[in-house]
Amino acid sequence: MTEPQSFRDGLLAAVPTLRAFAVSLAKNADRADDLVQETLVKAWDKQASFQPGTNLKAWLFTILRNEFYSQMRKRRREVEDSDGAITARLSVHPAQDGSSDLNDFRKALELLPEDQREAIILIGASGFSYEEAAEICGCAVGTIKSRVSRARNRLQEILGITGEGDFGPDPVTAQITSTIVA
Amino acid sequence: MSGMNYKKPGKNRGLGRDASTVDPLGVNSEIGRKLKQYYDELLTPEIPDRFSKLLQELEKHELPQSATEE
Repeated sequence: MTEPQSFRDGLLAAVPTLRAFAVSLAKNADRADDLVQETLVKAWDKQASFQPGTNLKAWLFTILRNEFYSQMRKRRREVEDSDGAITARLSVHPAQDGSSDLNDFRKALELLPEDQREAIILIGASGFSYEEAAEICGCAVGTIKSRVSRARNRLQEILGITGEGDFGPDPVTAQITSTIVA
Repeated sequence: MSGMNYKKPGKNRGLGRDASTVDPLGVNSEIGRKLKQYYDELLTPEIPDRFSKLLQELEKHELPQSATEE
């Protein structure tokens, strides 16, 4: 038996980060909060399957992500049924309005396919390792790596950022080094 | 050759950060910085009442009434 009190506290403490992840997935603050709510209820139900001492945050992210995709499938069906393409277009942003620079970034992020967006968020913002992100998304580590790299390239392209090398040294240094070595 | 299976210490990774967080989205990457800025803005520390109330309810009724679709 786990102590319900500490499990509850763990869930509560995870709410801010779950909300942030949910907004980046759902692109809509209200939907995001519904997702978080559903995640907490599911997590509570599955409490017995959580192993204390393991990564609660990753476990919760997995639940939230599954919930997001199952809602999306449901929604897609509903939209098709009602032929109401408008509902699918309703994307409301959180009230916070950052700099226009940040707005551009947000828009660019939204242009990414879901799998790339979630991968780059998990790795670059939520602070998960590639291994953890792979577990959360139910795919191979290599898949996460390639999604992150595609997402980053796409963002650079959209935002017109150039000259960032992949790893380590900047392109100029890399070129010089490789010329010397060659 | 034996004894080769332990990793070389990282070459250009002397940022004092844990290996798992050293990635192409690190502090030196503009995308990485923007990503964190974007996410930080979403990370509001306060927890809306609906969530603390929900957890209180769940705890009260050990068996939640909702979410039993499956």
